Amino acid sequence: MTDSLLSRRGLMRYGAYGAGAAAVAGVAAGWDRLTAADIPGRDDGSLVIATLGSAFNPEAQRALRDGFREVHPDIRIRINPVQAYDWSDFFSKILTQIAAGTAPDLVYVATEGVQLFARRLGVPLDAWAKRDAAELRTYFADVHPSLVESMMYEGSLYQLPVEFNAADMYLNTRVLERAGAELPDDDWTRDDFTALLRAMKRSNGAAFTPYFWTNRLWGGVVPWLFAGGTNLLAESKAPGGDWLWNSFYPEAERRGRGGGYRWTTPLADTDRVAEVYDYLASLVQDDLCTRPEGGDGRNLVGVFSTGRVGVTPAGGFWAGGLHEAGMKPTDYDVRYFPRGRARRHQFGAAGYAMLRTSRMRDEAWEFIKYTAREDVMTQLFAANQTTPARRSMVDAARYRKTGPAHWQVFYDTLDKIPSTGPIPAPPQVNEVEQLLIKHTGTALASPGAVRPALRRLQGDLERAMEREV
Amino acid sequence: MTNTEIRSVRPEPAGPRKTRGPRQSREPSESTTSTTPASRSRGARLLAVLFLAPTVVGIVVFTVVPIVGSIALSLFQWDVIEDPRWAGAANYREILTDSTVLVSFRNTLVFMVLAVALQLLIALALAIAVNGRMPMWLRSVFRSAFFFPLVLSAASLSVVMKYLFNQDFGPVNWLLGTVGIPSVPWLTSENGAMAAVVLAYVWQQFGFSFLLFVGGLNTIPKEVHEAASLDGASGPRKHLAITLPLLSPTLLVASVVGIINALQVFEQPYVLTAGGPGDSTRTVVMVIYETAFEQLRFGEASAVGVLLFALIMAVTALQFRLSRRYVHYQ
Repeated sequence: MTDSLLSRRGLMRYGAYGAGAAAVAGVAAGWDRLTAADIPGRDDGSLVIATLGSAFNPEAQRALRDGFREVHPDIRIRINPVQAYDWSDFFSKILTQIAAGTAPDLVYVATEGVQLFARRLGVPLDAWAKRDAAELRTYFADVHPSLVESMMYEGSLYQLPVEFNAADMYLNTRVLERAGAELPDDDWTRDDFTALLRAMKRSNGAAFTPYFWTNRLWGGVVPWLFAGGTNLLAESKAPGGDWLWNSFYPEAERRGRGGGYRWTTPLADTDRVAEVYDYLASLVQDDLCTRPEGGDGRNLVGVFSTGRVGVTPAGGFWAGGLHEAGMKPTDYDVRYFPRGRARRHQFGAAGYAMLRTSRMRDEAWEFIKYTAREDVMTQLFAANQTTPARRSMVDAARYRKTGPAHWQVFYDTLDKIPSTGPIPAPPQVNEVEQLLIKHTGTALASPGAVRPALRRLQGDLERAMEREV
Repeated sequence: MTNTEIRSVRPEPAGPRKTRGPRQSREPSESTTSTTPASRSRGARLLAVLFLAPTVVGIVVFTVVPIVGSIALSLFQWDVIEDPRWAGAANYREILTDSTVLVSFRNTLVFMVLAVALQLLIALALAIAVNGRMPMWLRSVFRSAFFFPLVLSAASLSVVMKYLFNQDFGPVNWLLGTVGIPSVPWLTSENGAMAAVVLAYVWQQFGFSFLLFVGGLNTIPKEVHEAASLDGASGPRKHLAITLPLLSPTLLVASVVGIINALQVFEQPYVLTAGGPGDSTRTVVMVIYETAFEQLRFGEASAVGVLLFALIMAVTALQFRLSRRYVHYQ
């Protein structure tokens, strides 16, 4: 029995042990040690900048930090690289930081999140842009207005784009040679594309996949919708933004510009969308492409560089990746996305958004301006891991080492195809993307599944778009 | 019976039972110390409370408070950025009419049945095999190897599995192809995706049940098996008639833990299939994650969490209820 084992003396002894342990713990607790407060920059008045971890390598981040310190020695900054699988994952982590009360001052945001951040968290940059118009003139002159317009929401500017990627087509030239095919024309069509895939399939083994693609907003079904003359959501433009267009762009370039895109009514159950899905379903059926869910960007470089894939949609970001994977500049090339009913391309851009929670807004604006400088962007994008937003940076010197031979396509997608537009990304973007991925998988899972899946997609999108964000 | 049990069931002396006074004790009445039995009893209780307190505090802070918090949050609309707004039962109405939520519950139950059954079968078969005649060093090698996946991160293991199961470039289909089996759409067909998720999960989890079964098998006296052998029982017969009944308490623990874990599966379907194709592998915890952290609907996510909590409690209670019939203690 327990009670017989404990005497008063014993209890006192255990009490003394306990008191001793508490004293030791107290000493340990009082000892100098690392805590969350010791993280450099935390709560020390630093400007905190959250970047997508993989967007900049450590050298580039150092250049960003050290270079900014030289220009603004009075502003302390802390780069907070957030590791995330994709933009959606990145937003989730930023929102978790905000919920935890550790919101950054600036967040690197891509087109997918521009409107979500603008609507809920962002600060319009209009006043600062007007104030520093003289300083920004060379920047805007060098950046295509479509990229700037994609960073506007309801008449206000929320970011200065520093990079973008349009969905063009990469082709493995060794696979083309095996198929006895030439690099397609600039103006190639969807039928040319299908014929090329068939030729590739015939001349390569069973383990070869002509077309590799992924199931997501960028580079998934959406560029096919754009080329098919339609979209996931009806597109229009918000009024406003004249202050920007009139200040920075000549008449020819500001025509038709507005205060940013509005994506409203879902179009999933329209005939044009069904036509695009039917085409993709036929490619899947004929074993000419990966199923979209099977396409995983993480192993794409590997399968493309080893010749197990012939064609894939990608932007300028892939030049650096393929070079890293050991491909020579002549081993691959790039072309516009094949034309369907239209010649429209899809792009996504990114820049820094200022958060409402920031108490260092003027300092944050200085950082935004700093990252838009040509010398800074040159350091950041030295590895060709993306397409710089500044037209002057997309030149032969940049792609001499990595290729591709037709690097002009990257910026020409904006310059020569004026209808090229951003990913449809309303404030409800996260749910829209989830629904698109889910129902695209179902639509292409079996013959005859396209229309029922699109009807469900339409219904779900309507509910999502009605939801107040 | 152990000696302790024998002492504890020693019958009281015959005759009318005496009523003890408040200061009476079953221990020797003449204490050799200066403390009274009552104070000793108080001291023991105090000591017990001291020892138990840290754990109880931990459970209250890290389990009870979040549960209560989730239940409370399920009655509000909250998007992290604005203050929560009272929603009453609206969140529950919303999720109970949401086809994605309902499908996720169905998927989770299907997954649970498949995964737990497979996990227990594999673990039991391997535990019996490892417990057979084999050198001790080899036994250690097998035990370590089978337990090893459990200590790996489920997410990283799933990334590897995603590569293995890739329809176009994965080694699994390549291997099948070498023996003439056509490419299987592991991750891109409804049945294939569920099978891949179950296999990935079982691969990681069976080590825990395996260790439990190895421990349980070691408690079964060898003499019982020897006696059965002398009576002419075959190997399978011995396992069915002796091993399984005597292992039933371990089976109960393994199945209870297995079911609770399986009902909370997240990493494997999230990484392998992202819930697809369509909703075919979307699980309840995935829906909670997506609703909360991607759609910023924390109230509805909490409501789904509360329903999952209720489901787990119900299934576990049912298991213990059924165990009265099927679990045999020595």
